[in-house]
Formats: sequence, structure tokens, C-alpha cells
Amino acid sequence: MDVRLANTWRLSLNEKNFIKTALLSDIRIDGRKPFDFRNIIIIFGREDGSAEVQLGQTRVMCVVTAKFVQPFRDRPNEGTLSIYTEFSPMADPSFEAGRAGESAVELGRIIDRGLRESRAVDTESLCIVAGKLAWAIRIDIHILDNGGNLVDAANIAALAALMTFRRPECSLGGEDGQEVIIHPPEIRDPVPLIVHHLPIAITFGFFDERVMVIDPTHNEEAVMAGRMIATINANGDICAIQKAGGEGVDQRVIMQCLQLATTKAVDITKQIKAAVETYNSERALQKIKHEPTCVATKVKEGQDQTLDNEGINELVGKYMERLKLISRESYASQNINDEVEVEPKSLRRGADSNGIKFSSAPLSWDPYSKGVDPEFLKASVASQGLSTGNKKKESSGDEKPETPGPFEDVNPNSSAVGASRNEMQVMGPKTLKDAVKPKNKRKKKGSSMI
Amino acid sequence: MEVDREDGRSQNQLRPLACSRNILHRAHGSASWSQGDTKVLAAVYGPKAGTKKNENPEKACIEVIWKPKTGQIGKLEKEYEMILKRTLQSICILTVNPNTTTSVIIQVVNDDGALLPSAINAACMALVDAGIPMRHLAVSICCCVARSGLVILDPTKLEEQNMKAFAYLVFPNSVHSVLPEGSLSVQGEPIENGIITSVTHGVMSVDDYFYCLERGRAASTKLSDFLRRNLQQQSTDSSKAG
Repeated sequence: MDVRLANTWRLSLNEKNFIKTALLSDIRIDGRKPFDFRNIIIIFGREDGSAEVQLGQTRVMCVVTAKFVQPFRDRPNEGTLSIYTEFSPMADPSFEAGRAGESAVELGRIIDRGLRESRAVDTESLCIVAGKLAWAIRIDIHILDNGGNLVDAANIAALAALMTFRRPECSLGGEDGQEVIIHPPEIRDPVPLIVHHLPIAITFGFFDERVMVIDPTHNEEAVMAGRMIATINANGDICAIQKAGGEGVDQRVIMQCLQLATTKAVDITKQIKAAVETYNSERALQKIKHEPTCVATKVKEGQDQTLDNEGINELVGKYMERLKLISRESYASQNINDEVEVEPKSLRRGADSNGIKFSSAPLSWDPYSKGVDPEFLKASVASQGLSTGNKKKESSGDEKPETPGPFEDVNPNSSAVGASRNEMQVMGPKTLKDAVKPKNKRKKKGSSMI
Repeated sequence: MEVDREDGRSQNQLRPLACSRNILHRAHGSASWSQGDTKVLAAVYGPKAGTKKNENPEKACIEVIWKPKTGQIGKLEKEYEMILKRTLQSICILTVNPNTTTSVIIQVVNDDGALLPSAINAACMALVDAGIPMRHLAVSICCCVARSGLVILDPTKLEEQNMKAFAYLVFPNSVHSVLPEGSLSVQGEPIENGIITSVTHGVMSVDDYFYCLERGRAASTKLSDFLRRNLQQQSTDSSKAG
């Protein structure tokens, strides 16, 4: 008993009084105004369906996975969504490993109500064979750092992860039409989940003397007298309200809170959607860069088809670093490719390959050179559908040692870049002139590399 | 004999390393370590009062909690916790804070091969960040033996699954010392040649194992350099801030 008391964290009386007095003058200890939300940073992980959210000092990570289960008997046409909350002892010294405390259970229940009962995620589309097979989506929320207001941060993380999660596409087949075929990600693109709306949780803290703040920090949570969490979506629909005990609050204050929550929800929804857009466009770009490596390996005649299949099977579309080194030999021998019918994997790929493009490459192309600017490579992808595999290799080689962190940071800067990339792709199918220009540039850069 | 690794590395090449310290605000020490796509977050709290029931109260105790990315905690996680605990116990000076518990929490952010070595490296950096007294650091590396008999370092997850056998090795870090040579050696061998931990999976011949050890040792020098640079850089940064 003594040991646990010795190890708990407590705020001193002076600090508590300071927080309360400052709030009476509308001043918060981190400099915010009472109705200001902290800065939200959303970072996506390497794999689809993993997101990390930083809300000031609070850090929450969320991972979404899916597997097959038998649907519940009373809902044979729906898949399931389950939320597991991990209050890691990393976040707070008072969190115990294993046993979930009451705040962990409460957080799990609030997010569960917001996501599942409001039907934010479409569960009927998760059913494959009614009554027999359906997808079970599992959401794991890991709290990494407790800086206050875990519910809001965890909710945003869960939403971001759900929106970027992709499950493998499966179809019914086989002799009796009852067999389920799961298509690997290389053959068919994994499918995103259908999310109808985004329920955002907003936490309000109530203090003595009718003081109300939004998004309390850890210190404020230790001082506050009551708390209310409202889960609202951008349309103004209230998905859940949780006020478990604490100080009694006037009705008018509650109405004011809900109105505030609606405006905040609109802001946060915009932020989440912008972050997801940037992630999706980055992902699409990565996919384009990967496919051409198949083309690169198919230069030898007669071996086209087999190499094509092998190339597809061996490529895992996630990592830039997975390169096929076979092309080294294939480029050594300059082959002019007459008719290589490339199976169009995406809309961007042209069907025939102009042999001239390949012939110029081996002269000045070094597979391990790193001098190519990734930006103009993307421009060349946009301008000519047939991406030349060698350029993509260079860009992949370029980016491998460069970025230490696997997370793609989503900040306003990168979203601007993402937007410009999208623009370039929209201008895509123009003229061959655009294709010719980059080639010349490439040659110059190539020679400078040696 | 050249081996074709999918990301174009040679057999002795490590993936790009990245490490940052002091990323969490509540934890006393924290570090994030990534080798290629494998990323691990480690946090340290301590020393806290009291030891667990079966632990020796005359020494400090280290408690390790391993949190996988998804799913329930099973035997594999318990095994990792045990290995990590024994490794860290051998590098920390346990007599400085008797009857205390230092908690090390590992969170797997992404697993792309060589997970345990990354976790050991991250835990070591987090302990440094927390200021726990240690004798020396531990650097960890994964060496695997391919079916062709070739030994390659730092495999990715796909490579690990296709290997005949692999070994996780932990060495003390290389020492830059002002003391005269030979004073830090044990029985004539320099201290950095010792092995702190070795965990193997699969079948490999004795010669292969010794070859792995050699390669691992060579790589550990590189890792030690990286650690040292990283720690020195961050300490100068914080001194500027302070």
C-alpha cells in the first residue's frame, strides 16, 4: 500500500490553486483561451490502417486489422467492429499493465458508441457470405503519452486509421460459388472501408465558479470538478454524450457546449480529411512507382511473360526499397522492345513501349545513382503514362537512405506538395512533347552522375 | 558469391538507422529506434519504490513490458520480455539503487524483421535518456544464415522467413577510453568482444555461428559509432537549450 502511494503522481496544492485562479481570469496554464483546441498532428504509419495522433503532449497510436469470422447469429448480414484500448504503462506511471482501469474502459465504451452505434462504419458491406463469413474489424488503440484529453485524441486516431485502412478484396468463386477467394494486394487493390460520417469526440472540463474549458490538459484534469464528452459529427448529429457524475451543470451551459462542439467538430473533420487525402495521394504515387519495375524486367524477348508474372508476384507494393536486380543484366543488353503488351494495372500505363526510350537509358544509367530529383520524376510519370522503370528505380534508391522515419509526416507543407502532384497528374495525358522533354533532362542528369 | 537482396543491400549492409530520444513527455526516458521499416518505441520509468515479490531487494530490479502492435499478449511477448530483462540487467549497475524497480515499456510500432534487436537498442537509448546508471551500452544485431550458407545482416521480415537460421546477438558497445590499453579487457580479450545475449532460431553449423559472431561484432562497431554520434549530438543540443 505504501509502495503504491509512494509511486503515484500528485499535483501540489499550490499548482492546483494557481490553475483555478488563472481560469477565473480566462487564462490557461499553457497559454490557450478556454475554448481553444490544441494543435492536432496526424501521422500515418507504413502500413494501411495505422495512424498516430499528437494532441499537444498527448500521443495516441491506433492500428486497424481485419480477419474472417462467423457473424453473430442475430445479425447474419453484418460484419463486426471491435475496439481494444490499451492504456500502456508508457503513458502514465499510474497505468497498470494488464488490468484495464476504469478510465480505460470508459474510453473504450465512448469510442465504441461513437463509431459502432452511430453506424459510422458500414458493417453490411463487410459481410461476404450471409450467416457464414464476414469481416471482423479490430481497432487497437495504444495510448503512448498521457497529456490529457485521451478520449478526443484516441477518437481522431481511430477515425484516421479507419479511413486509411484497406482490406484485401475477396470474391466468391469455386465450383459451387461458395468458396471465398482472397486476392493478394498485388493482383487486386485492397479495398477501403465505407465510412459514412466522422463522429468527433469533444471533451469539456467544468471547474468551480461556472468555468468551462475545452480540451483539458493533464494538469487541468487533475483539478477539474466535472467532465462532459460530446461525440458530434460535422452534420451536427449528436452521436453520444457522456457525463458521468461530477459537478452539476446548468442546462444552458450544456446547450452552449453542444453548439461549441459542433463548430469544433467541423474543423477537426476538415483536418482529418485533409490528412487522409494527402496520405492517399502519396500512396497512389508509390503504387505507380512500383509497377514500372515489372516493365523494366521484361526487356528480353521470349522471357516477357514469365518475368512479368514473377515481377508481379515478388513485388510488395509497400516498400520503395524492394527492387529487382535482374534488370541490371537486362539493361546491359540493349533491347529494343517491339510489342510488349503490358497488362494495364492502372489507368496510367500505356500499352506499347517505344523502344527508343529504353535504348538511351543504359548508356548513362547507373542503377545505384542517387542524383535524380524525385520531383521531376513525378512530373515525367504524369506526362507520359508509360513510366520508364529505370527512373523509378533511381527515385527509390534515392529515397531509401534519405528518410529515416518511416512515418509520412502530414503537415500543411506536405499537403501543398500533395496538391501540386495531384494537379500534375490531372494534366497527365497530354502530348508526347511532355514525354520528350524529361527524357532529355534525364540524359543530362545521367551523364553528370558518372 | 553475391546474394540478391530485394532492397539492393549487400550482405553486410544494414538498413538506414534512425533514433530519437526524449519524445514522450510523461515518461522519464524515452526513445524511438527504427531500422528500415521496423520501428520500436521504448519508455522508461524509474526507479520506483519497492521490488516485486520474487526479486532480490538488495539490488535494483528491472521490469519489462512488451506491447505488441495488435492482438493479445502471448508466449512470444513473454519470451521477449524475459530476454530483454536479462540483457538489461547485465548492463545496468544494479547496486546503485537497491530495492527499486525500473520499468521499461516497449511498444512495437511496425515489425519488418529484426524486431528484438531494435527493441534492445531502443531500450538502451531510453535508459540513457532516463539517466539510469549503466556500465556500458548494448548494441544488438540480427545475423541470419541463408540456405546457400551465406551470412547476411539485418534481414527484413520476408528475408527472415526464408532463412535457414538466424541469430539475435547483443554485444557491449565499443569503448573509447582514456585508460591505458588492456585495462578494460577480460582475460586478454577487449571487452567489446564479449557476447551479452545470443538467441538463435533454426539450425546452423558451429562454423556458421562463429561466422555470424564475427560479422555481428563488426557491425556492432558501426552501431556503436552511430549511437555515440547520436547521443553526443543530442546532448550538445540540450546543453544549448539549457
